[in-house]
Parts: sequence; structure tokens; C-alpha cells
Amino acid sequence: MKRHGMHHISRNHARMFYQPVVGFLALAAFALLGYAIWLCLHNISLMTTKGTQFVGFQNFVRLATDWRGLQALWRTVLFIVLATSFEVILGIAIALFLDQEFRGKKFVRAVILVPMIMTPVIAGLTWRFLFNAQSGMINYWLSTIGVAPVDWLGNPNVALYAVLVADIWQWTPFVVLLAMSTLETIPKDLVEAARMDGASEVRIIWHVILPMLRRTLAVAALIRAIDSVKAFDLFYIMTKGGPALSTETQNLYGYTVAFTNFDISYAMTIALFLTIVTNIALMLLNRFAMPKGVR
Amino acid sequence: MLKKILFYLILALILFVTLFPLYWVVTTSLKTLRDAFAMPPVWLFAPTLENYGKVLTNPAFIKGFANSMIISITASVLAIAIAAFAAYGIVQQGPERRRSLEGFVLSLRIAPVILFVIPTYYLSMRLGLLNSHGLLIAIYAFINIPFAISLLVTFFEEVPKEMREAGLMDGASELRVFWHIVLPVVRGGLVATFILCVLFTWNEFFIALVLSGRNTQTLPVTITSFLTFQGIEWGALTAAATLIMLPMIILGMLVQGTVVRGMAAGSVKG
Repeated sequence: MKRHGMHHISRNHARMFYQPVVGFLALAAFALLGYAIWLCLHNISLMTTKGTQFVGFQNFVRLATDWRGLQALWRTVLFIVLATSFEVILGIAIALFLDQEFRGKKFVRAVILVPMIMTPVIAGLTWRFLFNAQSGMINYWLSTIGVAPVDWLGNPNVALYAVLVADIWQWTPFVVLLAMSTLETIPKDLVEAARMDGASEVRIIWHVILPMLRRTLAVAALIRAIDSVKAFDLFYIMTKGGPALSTETQNLYGYTVAFTNFDISYAMTIALFLTIVTNIALMLLNRFAMPKGVR
Repeated sequence: MLKKILFYLILALILFVTLFPLYWVVTTSLKTLRDAFAMPPVWLFAPTLENYGKVLTNPAFIKGFANSMIISITASVLAIAIAAFAAYGIVQQGPERRRSLEGFVLSLRIAPVILFVIPTYYLSMRLGLLNSHGLLIAIYAFINIPFAISLLVTFFEEVPKEMREAGLMDGASELRVFWHIVLPVVRGGLVATFILCVLFTWNEFFIALVLSGRNTQTLPVTITSFLTFQGIEWGALTAAATLIMLPMIILGMLVQGTVVRGMAAGSVKG
């Protein structure tokens, strides 16, 4: 009884450790959200001398009918889908490939980490360098197999895919490492048993290993999807949304509206829209695509 | 045997694709202008430190380096100090409350940064705070706190409950237990979390681009100003790039295990 009582008190004391912090975070988050909504409902722009006016949902109507914004939205969706699926599929394939004992496994694991801890701006510069139309390595290699040079970052039809390649390079390792550590926890005797029964390697991977990786895959896909909504560095450094707006995503469009046009309210509307869409997508994913127990 | 050769061939390919970009940047930084743009590329060359000399005597780069150091270290220390308290408190809660607390902390990391950068920019501009180190330190600390909490919770929960209970039984205050019993046990986790916070702050670009002024520019922003010079000086640029990323890659390697854990503990990029 006495022990229970003390436990109760100490739990209350432990609460004092997080309450101020979480309380402050919650307060800041709600204040910011409130202020963001307030900004969205007004017409604040640093470029005009008009006074601040309440404009209701005018900014939202503008967003729904803004051709440039809609195209950016479409591009964002395309980028998320392509980046996430390539990274997850390639990542899982590499992890399965590396799931065996070989010399230097530790070294390989450490080296694979490099792209994801590389400063994203530098990763962008590096790929801009490699994709350079005249002196880049990619075109040099293509020329050795007789392919004509491609203006990777200057051609509106391919620029988005050039950025995609850089994103895949930087973030596939994340999926690889996550999958590798899950694979190590999978009981090997299950796989052995299936092998004894004469199941082919493909069948084993499909029916035994992949189901056990489902949770990890879901988490990895979720994290990659959220991050690609927010992708900014690679785009800004490699193309700045060009050529001819062909790589402008919603995030970049929001940035341009806010800090080139200084149309604060409209930029906020784009940002809020992006947040809402991300959250809905997350909820749907959580509800329908996630196995139980995945946040 | 054939299978083994094939395995090592594919392995070599994976490593090549992973490392070639890094290798190319570092070697280009050691080349003369002529070698850097030679076609076909030169693989063997006499290395020169000329590009590094140019970068290290560039006042903008030095200033950016100092800013990055000051901002990332101060913000990370602040974030860890605050997050450690919160994480300790959260771990002691019952499963239900814990889940909702962790859920809330995680949700803070999901919103796109642009959502709060615009209001912050607008407010700081009106308050005249845009060109101060304090603003960036506060923002980065704020961003790192939820991340640090989610990561530290995973370290704190590894501390045996009995240690804390024994301390409390002996009549020590919660604060004493936290400070003298629990913190020493999670020292390794604290260091790893600190390194990751520094890494993220050092690498972060969007917030720095928007909220930093002439005096507070961090390195990722400084390096983009190298881009707009007449044409791109790839030699100096790759030297600067090497100086910016290599220390972080080394730090990241030191806390290898924590990197993936940290990234999974909450989607990483702010």
C-alpha cells in the first residue's frame, strides 16, 4: 500500500518533467496554427500598400483556380509517387541482396549511410555537377556508349527526372538500412524450413520474407512520402523550379509566392493546404494501408 | 563460384553508385581548373590545394563556418537540455498517456516547415529580428526538441525501472534521481542525439535560406551564393562542399546506429 502511494506521488513528480515542455510546444503549435489561419483569411502582401483586410476564403478560391498551383500540385504528387516507390522497391531489393554473410558487411553498411548524411545542398550541387550538359560525367558515360548528350537540367521534359535520380540516390539507403536491420531479426529457421520443402528463392522471398517486412516497408514508405512532400533542397539547388517551371512543386511554389512575390497570405494558404493534404494522406494510409500497430 | 563472382560484381556496382558522387566532388576539389574540365576526364592527376586556399581565405566562407558552428552547437545543446527532461518524464508515464504524448510530439514533425517559416519570417521582420543569431538558435532548438524527445525516449526506456525506484526509496528527490542516476546511464544516447541534432542543423537549408540575414548566414546558404558568381567556379565550390560535408559525414559515421533509429523516430527533415 505504502509503495503504491509513493509510486503515485513519484509519477506526479515525473509529470513535472514533461508538462512544461509539452505544454509550451502545444501552446506554440496552436498559436502558430491560429496565426497561420488568420493570415490565410486576410490579404497581407508586402508588395502592395493596401491595408490589411479580411477577405474570407478568397485565397482558397484563388488556389483552387490557380493553373500554376495546380500544375505544381500534380508535379508534387508525381514526384512523391515515383520517389517513394523507387526508393522502397530498390531499397528492399538491395537489402535482400545484402542479407547474407560476406566479408566487409560492416563496411558496406557504413558506406551506404553516406548519401543520407551528406548535406542535402551539397548532394544537389554534386548532382548538378554530374548532370552538367557539357562537362558532366553522366553525359560523358552516355557518350562512351554512343548516346547523344542530354541537357538534363535544361530540358523541361527531363529535369524533374534528373532531380528524382538525385533524390533516389540520397534516400534509398534509408530504406536499405531500415530493411536490413529488420531482416536480421527474422527467424532464419522459417526460411530454412521453406527451403527444405523445396520452395524456390522467389517464392520464399514473396511468401515468407516480404510479409514479415510489411511493417518496416510501411514505415519506410510513410517517412519517404512525408519527406518528399517537403522536398526542397535538391530542387532549389538543381533547378530552382525551372526550366519553364517544369520542376516547380507545391513547396517551391509556396516559397516563390512568399519570398519572391512577398504575397504572405497566399503563400500561407498554399502551405496550409499542403499540411492538410499531408495529414489526410497520412490518416488514410494509417487507416487502410498500415498493418496494426504502425503509427 | 560463379555465384560468388556475380555477388561481388553487384556489390561493387552498389558501392560505386553510392560513393562515386562523393569521390568525384572530393577529387575535383583537388584538381586544377584544366584537369577539372578535361574531357575525357582525368583519373590520375597531381593534386593541388589551390582551391582550398581560395575558399579558406574567402571571408564569406569563414563567416558562414563560424555561424554554422555557433548556431548548430548552441541550438543542439539547448534542445538536448530541454528534451532530456521531457523524455524522462514521458518514459515514467503509463502506456496510454505515453502513447498520446509521443503521438503529439511526432505530429509536430509532420507539418511542412514552410507552414511556420512564413509566419515566423513575417513576425520577425516586423519586430526587426531577422538578422540575429538568437532567432536562428531559437528556431533550430524549437525544431530539434520534438526530434530529440522521440529519440531520447528510446534511450531512457532502456534504463531499468528499478534504478529509479531504488533511488526514490532512498529518499532522493526526482530531480536528484534524474541527474545522478539516470542521466549518467544514458550518456551515450545523449551524445548520439546531440550529434544528430548538430548534423541536422548544420545540413538544414530551407529555414536558413529564409530566416538568416547577411550576418547570420549558415554554410548551406553561403555556398549557394557561390553559385551566382559569373559562371560557376566548380573548383572553389567543390572545395567548399568538401569542407562543409566531410566533418558531418565523419560525425554521422560515429553515431551510425543512431542515425537510422533517429530517422525512424520521427520523419527527419524538419
